[in-house]
Amino acid sequence: MVLDLKRCIGCNACTIACKAENGTPPSVFWARVLEKEVGKYPLAKRIFLPTVCNHCKDAPCKEVCPTGATSQREDGIVIQDYDKCIGCRACMMACPYGVRFYWGKKEYYFKDGPTPYEEYAYQKFQVGTVMKCNFCYERVDKGLDPACVITCPTKARYFGDLNDPTSEVSRLIIDRRGFQLREELATDPSVYYIQ
Amino acid sequence: MNQSISKTLETEDRWIPSVCYMCNCGCQIRAHVVNGVVVKIEGNLDNPHNDIRLCAKGQAGIMSLYDPFRLKSPLKRTNPEKGIGVDPRWVEISWDEALDTLVERLKKIQAEDPRKLIVAGLDFNHVIAEPLFAGAFGTPNFWKGGADYFCGNAVHPVTFLTNGSFYSDPDFELCNYSIMMGIQTGFMVGHNSVTEALEMADARLRGMKLVVVDPIGTNGASKADEWLPIRPGTDAALVLSWVNVLLNELNIYDATFLKKYTNAPYLIGPEGYYVRDAETQKPLMWDEGKAKPYDASDLNDPALEGSYTVDGVEARPAFELFREHVKGYSPEKVSTITTIPTETIRRIAREFGEAARIGSKIVIHGRELPYRPAAIAWNKGSSHRHGMLMGLAIQSLNTVVGAMDVPGGQIGFNPKGPFWEPKVGPDGLMMPADMLLLVEPAYPARKVTPPQTVDLYQFLPVAPYAAPFIEDTMLDSQKFKLPYQPELFLNFDSNPLMSTSNPEKMAEVLLKIPFLVDFNSHITETDELADMVLPTAHYLERFSPFPNSPGAHLKPGLGVWYWTMSQSVVDSPPGVRSWPEVVLEMVYRMGMGSDFNIMVNTLLYLREPHTLDPNKQYTYEEIGEIWAKSRLGAEYNLQQFKEQGCIVSGPKKVEDVYDRVYIKPKIPLYYEYLKRAGEDVKRVTTELGIPWDTSDYQPIPDWKPCPSYENSQGGYDLYAVNYKLPFHTFSYTTQNPWLNELAEHHPYAYKVLVHSQVAKRKGIKDGDSVYVESIAGKVKGVAKVTECVHPEVVGIAGTFGNWATGRPIAKGKGVHFNTLLPSTPEHIDTVSAALDACPRVKIYKG
Repeated sequence: MVLDLKRCIGCNACTIACKAENGTPPSVFWARVLEKEVGKYPLAKRIFLPTVCNHCKDAPCKEVCPTGATSQREDGIVIQDYDKCIGCRACMMACPYGVRFYWGKKEYYFKDGPTPYEEYAYQKFQVGTVMKCNFCYERVDKGLDPACVITCPTKARYFGDLNDPTSEVSRLIIDRRGFQLREELATDPSVYYIQ
Repeated sequence: MNQSISKTLETEDRWIPSVCYMCNCGCQIRAHVVNGVVVKIEGNLDNPHNDIRLCAKGQAGIMSLYDPFRLKSPLKRTNPEKGIGVDPRWVEISWDEALDTLVERLKKIQAEDPRKLIVAGLDFNHVIAEPLFAGAFGTPNFWKGGADYFCGNAVHPVTFLTNGSFYSDPDFELCNYSIMMGIQTGFMVGHNSVTEALEMADARLRGMKLVVVDPIGTNGASKADEWLPIRPGTDAALVLSWVNVLLNELNIYDATFLKKYTNAPYLIGPEGYYVRDAETQKPLMWDEGKAKPYDASDLNDPALEGSYTVDGVEARPAFELFREHVKGYSPEKVSTITTIPTETIRRIAREFGEAARIGSKIVIHGRELPYRPAAIAWNKGSSHRHGMLMGLAIQSLNTVVGAMDVPGGQIGFNPKGPFWEPKVGPDGLMMPADMLLLVEPAYPARKVTPPQTVDLYQFLPVAPYAAPFIEDTMLDSQKFKLPYQPELFLNFDSNPLMSTSNPEKMAEVLLKIPFLVDFNSHITETDELADMVLPTAHYLERFSPFPNSPGAHLKPGLGVWYWTMSQSVVDSPPGVRSWPEVVLEMVYRMGMGSDFNIMVNTLLYLREPHTLDPNKQYTYEEIGEIWAKSRLGAEYNLQQFKEQGCIVSGPKKVEDVYDRVYIKPKIPLYYEYLKRAGEDVKRVTTELGIPWDTSDYQPIPDWKPCPSYENSQGGYDLYAVNYKLPFHTFSYTTQNPWLNELAEHHPYAYKVLVHSQVAKRKGIKDGDSVYVESIAGKVKGVAKVTECVHPEVVGIAGTFGNWATGRPIAKGKGVHFNTLLPSTPEHIDTVSAALDACPRVKIYKG
C-alpha cells in the first residue's frame, strides 16, 4: 500500500471505512489518522499521518507469537487467527507501530447492547484476542481493493503488488521517493508513504 | 435438508442504491443488506457524483440507522410547564391521536389566519416539501432556522447576482491560483464535498497554489501553500485592498470582460444612479463620443473611464467610481485592520492578478474561451454584520480579473442546463433560471411591504431568508407591528435550540408560541419546549425525489447531467414514519389536496401532461415519478432510479458550463439596484416608525467593522470563531457513536483552541478546564493550546455541546459555540440577514 501524504487531508474517511467494512469494536482502530502540529505561528500547521498495519515483510509480531496465531500469507498480508490467539499480547509489545489492538471486554457503541449491525459484525471476533488490520484480505481475494482505499475522497491511498516493478505502487515509490515508517528497524513494512 | 431448514438458511444479500443524507451534499451510495440488516454503506460504483468514494459521515450512517435511542412512538407532554431542563413527562400516543390533535389545530388556524402557523425545518432532501405544505396551507412563515443563521445568507444572494446560481466553486480542473476566504472547500465541507476533495487534491498535486485566509489553522489551512491568519470579520477589507492593488497600483484588470459582460461601463450620475436614456429608460454607456443604451446594436468600445456630460448631467462609468472607491483600501491601512502584513497583501494581489492570465484563451471541446485560472471563494466566513458587502467585495475580485464562469475561474453550480438558463432582467442584468431557485432570487429586489412574517423577510428585499430576526420580532411584536400572534410551530428535523443563537433566548422566543410540534428522530434540546414529538424515518428508510438540485448539490463543471432519487433500503421500525409522507396525509385529511397539488405543479415547474390532477390524491413516490417524467421525459420512471440510483441524461455542453460568454445577461460590478432597494426599505420602515439601518444598501461594497471590532470593553479581549470538522455536520451527526469516537480521539474537535501566547498570558495549560464567556452566554470546555489559531481568537468547532438526554452519545461532548452569540438586530446584517459570528469573549480557567 502507498499512502500519499500530500493528498491526505485528515478527513478520517479511512478510519470509518474500516469500521464500516470490518465492524471493529469501540476503541479499536485498524485504520486511523494521527495528527500533530508543526511550526510556530503563523507558519504553523497540522500534519496528518494515516496509519494501518504495515504488513512488515519481517514482521516482529509474527516472530514473537507463541501460538502461531499471527501468520503471513504468500502475498505478504499479515493475518490474525482468533482461534489460535491466547491474548498474551506479546505481539502488541513487539509491534513498533502500535497498530494492534486487544479486545478485552465485549463492549458496544451504545452501552445497552449491540446494534443489529454489531451483532452481525462481531461474529468474526473473539473477546480476549488481539486484532489488527488485515488489508481487507477477503476483499483482496475477490480482486477488490481494501475498504479504506476505495473510499478515500482524495485518492490518497494506492493498493497493489510491490513485487511487480511495473505496478502503480512500485512506480509511485520510485517516482516520488516513497519511504517506510521507522525504516531503521528493518522490519520492511509493505506500507509506503509519499510526499 | 428439509424445506423449512433450507428456507431459514436462505440469505438475503443485496446491494441497494440510494442517496446519502449525513450532510446535504447528496452523495450516491449503495447499502449492503444481509437478511434485512444494513451491514455496509459505500459510494455507489462509478456514479458521476462521488464515484465509489464516501466520507466518514456517509459511511457512519449505519450507526445512526441502528441508534437504539431513536424515537419509536409519537409522544405528547403531560407536564404543562415548559423550559430548558424541565422534564416534559412524555407519554406515548398513537399516530392517529397525534395527527387528530395536529390537524384539528391546523384547521382552526387556517380558518382564523393561516399566518399563525410557522413551518420550520432544515431537511435538504425534502426542501421542497416544506414550502409546498406552507404554501398550500397559506402561511408565508416558512422559517429555516435549522442552520441558516450561518448557512449561506450572505453567499446565495451574491452568487445569484454574479454566477447565476445558488452557489459557486472554483473551476478546480483548470484553476492555478485559489484563495479560500474562511472556507475549506476541498477539505470535506461545502456543497459537493467528496467531489471537491478530489478536485482540490488533484489541483494541488498539479501545482495550483492554494491560499487559505482563516483565523483558524484548519485542515484546509494546513494543506495550503500559504495560510493567512486574519482578524475575524475583516475579510472585506483584505479583498478590497487586493482589488485596489490590482486596479490602482498594477493596472491589472480584464477590460474586455468588464466591458462586454458587466455593468462596469454603465454611466452613473452624481446621485449614484444609472444615467438613463430619456425615452427608453435604459442605462447608458459612453461609446464613440456619445451616450448609447447598454444594449445598442452599434456598440464599439464603451468607456470604462472618463467623465462625460449626458443631457446636461455629469456622468462617469461605474468602473471609474469603483476604482476610485477602492483607493481607500491601501495595503498599509488594511494591514492594521486585518493583521496581515502589507507586503503579503501586495504580493498576493500580484500573484492572483498574474495567475489570471488576462487576455489568454483556451480551447475546450473545440470552443475557444477566455482562460482565467484564478479564483477566490468564500462561504460561511461571511457570517457577519456586514456579510453581504463582504460577499460582494469578494466576487468583485473575480469580476475585475474576468474570472467569472469562464474556464479556470469561479463557476456557478450549473447556472445553465439542458432546459434552463439565466434570463435578462431589468437593466440587462442577470436573473437565475427559475428551477435553480431554492430560495427567492436577489435580483430584482422584491417590493418592500409591512411585516407579514415573523422573520421580517419583507424588510430584506434581496435576502434569501431572514431567520435571525424572528427573535426580536417575537419578543417585541408591538415594535415590529406584526399583525398576528403565531400559534403553532411545526418543525421538521431541525433543532433551533442548538443551531441558532443563544439557546436561552431562543427558548424565550419559542415559548411565546403556544403549541410546538416536532418531527424528529430523537428527543432533542428543542423538544423540551415541544408539545408533541413525532418520530421520523432515517434516510435509509425513506424516499426522496431529486435530492441533488442542479443549483446546489450537483457537480458543477464539465461532465454529465445526472439525476438522483433516494429510496428506502430497509423498512422503518414500527411507529416510525417518513415525515413527507405524514405531511401528505395531513394535506389530504385537511381537504387541502387540490391547493397542494396546484402548488406542486407550480413550484416544481411540472409540464403538461406530467402534472398532478388537483382532484386526485397521490403518494410521495407517485409525485416523484410525475416530477421525473416532467423533468426528463416520459421514458423515465421510478423503477429506473430504484435500480440505478443515479441516471445520466447526457453530456454537459461547454456553453452550459462556461456560460458567461454565451448568455445575454450581464453581471454587476456596481450595485445600483441595492441603493434603490435600500431606499424602499427606508421609506416603508420610516412610514411604520420602525428603526431600521439601511446604510449597507450601497452600490459599491465596503468593509465595515463588526460590533466586535475593537470593542474589548468589559475584559472581552478575544474573539470566538467557529470552524468545521471534516467528519461532523452541524449538531445532526453528534449522536453517531463512530463520529463521536473520532471526535473524542481528535486533538482539537471537542476542545477550545487557545493560542500559545494567550495561554501563557492567562496561565492556561493544555488540557485545563476553561470558561469562554461573551455578553450573551458562557460555555465550559477543555483548552487546546496551539499555534494553529490567530492570537486574538479562541476556536470552537462544530455544533457540539448537546444537553438533551434523548441523545446520550452527544450529550456533554464538546462546546456549544452558539451560546456565545448575541443576536440583537445590531448583530444581524440588514441586507442578507447573516448573524454576526465573531463575538467578543474572555477566557479563564475554571
